[in-house]
Amino acid sequence: MTRRGYWVLFFGLVIAALLCKACIVRDVPPKAGQNTNAKQQSATAAYTMPKNVTLNGIEYLQSQAPVGKFGGTLVSSTIGEGPKTFNPFNCKDNTSSIMSGIMYDGLLTTNPTTGDVAPKLAKAYSISPDGKVYTIYLRKGAKWSDGKPITADDVVFTWNNIIFAGYGDTSTRDSLVIDGKLPSVRKYGDYIVVFAITRPYAPFLRMLSTPIAPKHIFAPAVKKGKEYFDSFLSTTAKPKDFVVSGAFKLKEYVPAQRVVFERNPNYYEINSKNEKLPYLDKLVYLIVGDLNNEVLKFEAKELDVISLQGSKVARYKAMEPKSDFKLYNLGPDTGTMYLSLNLNTRKDSKGKYYVEPIKQKWFNDLNFRRAVDYAIDRKNMVLNIANGIGAPLFTPESLNSIYLNKKLKPYNKDLNNAKILLKKSGFTLKDGKLFDKDGHRVEFNLYTNAGNTEREAIGVMIKQDLEDLGMKVNFKPIEFNSLVNKLVSTFDWDMVIMGLTGSPLEPNGGKNVWLSDGRLHMFNMRTPQEGKAGILPWEKQLDEMFTKGALATKFEDRKPYYDKYQEIVYTQKPMIYIYSPIRIVAIRNKFKNIYPSSLGGLTHNIEEIYEESNKK
Amino acid sequence: MDTLKYILKRILQTIPLLIIVSVVSFFIIRLSPVDPLAELKLNPSISPETVEKERARLGLDKPIIVQYGKWAISFVKGDLGVTSTGEKVSSKLAERIPNTLLLTSIVILLTWLVGVPLGILAAVRWKTPFDRIMTVVTSIGMAIPSFFFAVLLLMFAVRTGWFPIGGLTSAGYADMNIFGKFWDITHHLILPVFVLFTISLAGLQRQMRANMLDVLDSDYVKFARAKGLSENVVIYKHALRNAVNPMITLLGFEFAGLLSGAALTEYVFQYPGLGRLILEAVMKSDINLVMASLMMGAVMLILGNLIADILLIITDPRIRTGA
Amino acid sequence: MFREVIIQLWKDKFARAALIVLGIIYLALFFADFIAPYTKDFSDRTMAYVPPSKVFTIDENGKFSKPYTYNYVREFDQNSLEIKYKFDRSKKHYIKFFSKGQPYKFLGLIPMKRHLFTTDEGGRMFLLGTDINGRDVFSRLLFGGRISMTIGFLALLVLFPIGLLYGGISGYFGGKVDMLMMRFAESIMAIPSFYLLIILASVLPSGMTSTQRFLLIVIILALIGWAGFARVVRGMVLSIKNEDYVQSAKSIGASDLRIIIKHILPQTTSFVIVAMTLSVPSYILSESGLSFLGLGIQQPDASWGNMLKEAQEFTNILYRPWLLTPGFLIFVSVLAFNLIGDTIRDVLDPKSKVR
Repeated sequence: MTRRGYWVLFFGLVIAALLCKACIVRDVPPKAGQNTNAKQQSATAAYTMPKNVTLNGIEYLQSQAPVGKFGGTLVSSTIGEGPKTFNPFNCKDNTSSIMSGIMYDGLLTTNPTTGDVAPKLAKAYSISPDGKVYTIYLRKGAKWSDGKPITADDVVFTWNNIIFAGYGDTSTRDSLVIDGKLPSVRKYGDYIVVFAITRPYAPFLRMLSTPIAPKHIFAPAVKKGKEYFDSFLSTTAKPKDFVVSGAFKLKEYVPAQRVVFERNPNYYEINSKNEKLPYLDKLVYLIVGDLNNEVLKFEAKELDVISLQGSKVARYKAMEPKSDFKLYNLGPDTGTMYLSLNLNTRKDSKGKYYVEPIKQKWFNDLNFRRAVDYAIDRKNMVLNIANGIGAPLFTPESLNSIYLNKKLKPYNKDLNNAKILLKKSGFTLKDGKLFDKDGHRVEFNLYTNAGNTEREAIGVMIKQDLEDLGMKVNFKPIEFNSLVNKLVSTFDWDMVIMGLTGSPLEPNGGKNVWLSDGRLHMFNMRTPQEGKAGILPWEKQLDEMFTKGALATKFEDRKPYYDKYQEIVYTQKPMIYIYSPIRIVAIRNKFKNIYPSSLGGLTHNIEEIYEESNKK
Repeated sequence: MDTLKYILKRILQTIPLLIIVSVVSFFIIRLSPVDPLAELKLNPSISPETVEKERARLGLDKPIIVQYGKWAISFVKGDLGVTSTGEKVSSKLAERIPNTLLLTSIVILLTWLVGVPLGILAAVRWKTPFDRIMTVVTSIGMAIPSFFFAVLLLMFAVRTGWFPIGGLTSAGYADMNIFGKFWDITHHLILPVFVLFTISLAGLQRQMRANMLDVLDSDYVKFARAKGLSENVVIYKHALRNAVNPMITLLGFEFAGLLSGAALTEYVFQYPGLGRLILEAVMKSDINLVMASLMMGAVMLILGNLIADILLIITDPRIRTGA
Repeated sequence: MFREVIIQLWKDKFARAALIVLGIIYLALFFADFIAPYTKDFSDRTMAYVPPSKVFTIDENGKFSKPYTYNYVREFDQNSLEIKYKFDRSKKHYIKFFSKGQPYKFLGLIPMKRHLFTTDEGGRMFLLGTDINGRDVFSRLLFGGRISMTIGFLALLVLFPIGLLYGGISGYFGGKVDMLMMRFAESIMAIPSFYLLIILASVLPSGMTSTQRFLLIVIILALIGWAGFARVVRGMVLSIKNEDYVQSAKSIGASDLRIIIKHILPQTTSFVIVAMTLSVPSYILSESGLSFLGLGIQQPDASWGNMLKEAQEFTNILYRPWLLTPGFLIFVSVLAFNLIGDTIRDVLDPKSKVR
């Protein structure tokens, strides 16, 4: 044998030995009773909204939270490509709205605990008994960041010359055209503004939280026309061009990296020692590309605040006792995930059905829809996809909505029930394959947007769930844009998994989805020419609920309409809701005055938050 | 004079090239079923009027030939148009190009500094264990999927805390002094540079080795050896010059190759460069942005080749007659 | 020539190791249906993200036993908000070799039920754990590998004839034809390749079947590479066409196409082989990059690239390292291809300009 041969033999033996070692594994049962988990308490003190006070003739807002320390920086993050504009009237995406919302306050705001409307830039408001006249009282002595007073002129200018004149994104204006007329806005003196609408319109009150623009800065831009306005105060604008009313003002914007805000020295809120807020010197938003990068940055202590999903929660929960951050459970998210069926029975302009007639029959059969609903295994979806951090969902209103209809009860997957329902409608099961009463095999396409791991995973599970009923499901994740095109233009889809974010405060925002001629009435979409063609009885009811709900002004009066709408969706199931993720957020311990709430999130009182141990 | 004429001719030749590039890419993008307005359409708070306005603004209501014509005319005029969200394409590109140039030039510099000597050494020691090991090591470098490598390095950064997590500057960058700023950027660049360096080193080292082998095998080196010159003089004085020359041509390609090779790395490291911008633009079918960045890429590649050619002419006048 | 190549490959230590590794991988992929205990789409939703199954050969009493495993049970801990996986020790599941399991069609033709290994009824054997949908990672690796490891070859099969013919024609005719054809090829080359790749991939119409999508991605990959290849071929043809035998073929009156295909292109064989082996890895990497971005192979189909998508997530890398296996497989197979390519080049064309 050569020397090399010995080596080969030697290594061969070693590998064989290792393999044997790997094969011999001893089964040692764990000893019982070592698993004791101390329960953790995370009760937080109730939050009190700031109150109005008058000091030296200036009507301040006074924080009720404990007095903190000035200085410090809070680093937060925004996912995506960062803001597209800092002009609050040009925002078409969420990030831009948040960024400009920091700088420009609205007249009113929302109480983060109760969801009630609360004063902000306005010190008070009143609504006439007939619900048509809204009177706003402004703060005397409140100033823009450049020292100029904030007056009724600014408010009237913002509404009449920017919003109603059609500058920027016209969505607010478009939704306020009531009986072909826009509300009128008039000032009485320097500090009183009166809005008058022709008919009571409940959602209007919350629209008054729209930012107010400084007239002396915006008026020249408005004069230069709409095209100029579109690029006014865009991301290329210089920080010194911003004159703001909010707690913070733009300091630096580094594209694709971060947005830095500094404190507005003229902010109109003070603490109980009468010092001007905000406490923080700087507020930084890092622009991160995806959730994953965000977590990495938090772990590396580059971020102070983070919102956690799925399996990350367990990791942070385990780390929490020994770490410098604290977790808060904000309850269910406003996002809703649903499975929608295409109920469209109409033809396109060429006389071709959008949905094949055979499929139309199935999707328009209530028993079929309910069977689909009963087949869906929400429990395991929450466990697998949201890692248990979620709650099954049965209504279109999100679980933290103040209008949630709590009478609608959740239920579990029930294949037997589903099969009975299908049988009732004449479907038959042969060799595990489902046929309708005319002998057609039940087979359809299920779409969702590719690249969204969560929805893709839901799709895979729904496909299996429905295949348990003998249906053949072709699950096709497709590009987001093409999917939207199918939903809103070509209508050639069968089932789709999508998500929408609604407002937990104002159900009227969902009217685009639920009104029979709504722009996002996906499950039975009509072209503008079709109007309300082929309206189903329960669609008619939905229209009625939304119209009446918007006309009533008081919460108690509106609630029954929106309860009814949820009940209709719950029983008719054009859209089958799946689950809502639960929002869990983490923030470093060094930040105080943290009053998290389901509606307001973690930093709704950003001006009151302070850094305990900053080196200033 | 001849040189100047040649350069002029080369520049003129690039024009049809650019036209073909633009036509091909424009039509490919417009073929796509992707609707740039999809996100707006699905946003319940955006009114149909706004969507219509956007459509008209982007010219999506016109036939594709008209769209191309409009685009081409304004492109020639130097107007790159606006992105689907209304920002100026030129300013978006201006934000990103310096960052990408910074990254790529550092990577090129490093790979040349390391790759060329390693290639020479491998060639000189052809078929020795050193050469074999170099081949395997560079193969390993070529075999790691860049994005996977980048993800692993990010994990490494989190676990050790030695490196920042992506980006180019930290949150407090604006308040730093000049040295702080310099260090901050360097600190952020280390990981992405390392990934790109590992991947592009292999190619360069191999190319250099092949060239050097080529030259070492040539008649005049044999002749020089026969003359009794010392091996060192033969290699480092005579052979080296001739082996490096063809590498210059490579520089142009190297540059453009990195431009696209960096996209995935930029994506993982959240680096504010051109690659990530294009990636995001393609996903949203933001035609003006994609077109502009593609043209940028093409121009850079052509320019790189042109510069390489000119350098070649300067170092080796024989080429001119051949052209 | 081929004999010599094989002998040389076998002589070189690294190349031999690479050949063996690739051999094992391709064999495993060929017999994927048989080796994989589960089919590609099989999923057990109560078993999402379970760690790799443990196989015991000594039972709890310390005695040797037939290999067996326990199923995992999952529970959600309300306090720690964590999903915990524990063994269900109430029942042992013995591992059976060559016995009947899930039915499949071997190579898509022969219906079979036997698998290399399975467990008894009700047992679950996940050698490399499961993914988010409770699908066996080991099985999916095998099926995904079929796509990842063939896509490069298929792209080359499409690309090489095009490049050869294009380069051949351009070089052979020269003059205006050459000029036009080369300008077009150059403009394709002038578009940074990865960008062209993602643009083309994003154009793919929705609602395609997975086979269609697979084929189109092959074509897209081919579209990227042909131009550069054609250019090199053209350069070679330029010098070959003046050789005596080409001239004599011309004088006999052979048709141009015949001369190109019969007399000129065969002369480029060794270059083509070298270029081919050296470019397979880059196509494997391109596919994985594309799928990683979500533009390549789509769920529920598997490819190593799209399986790696899950490895993007931080917690997955930390707590579920088995999800990283596709990355290592890509690495190993690309490395093996590179080593083999290097050796072939050294044998056939030692001074080649091909990288």
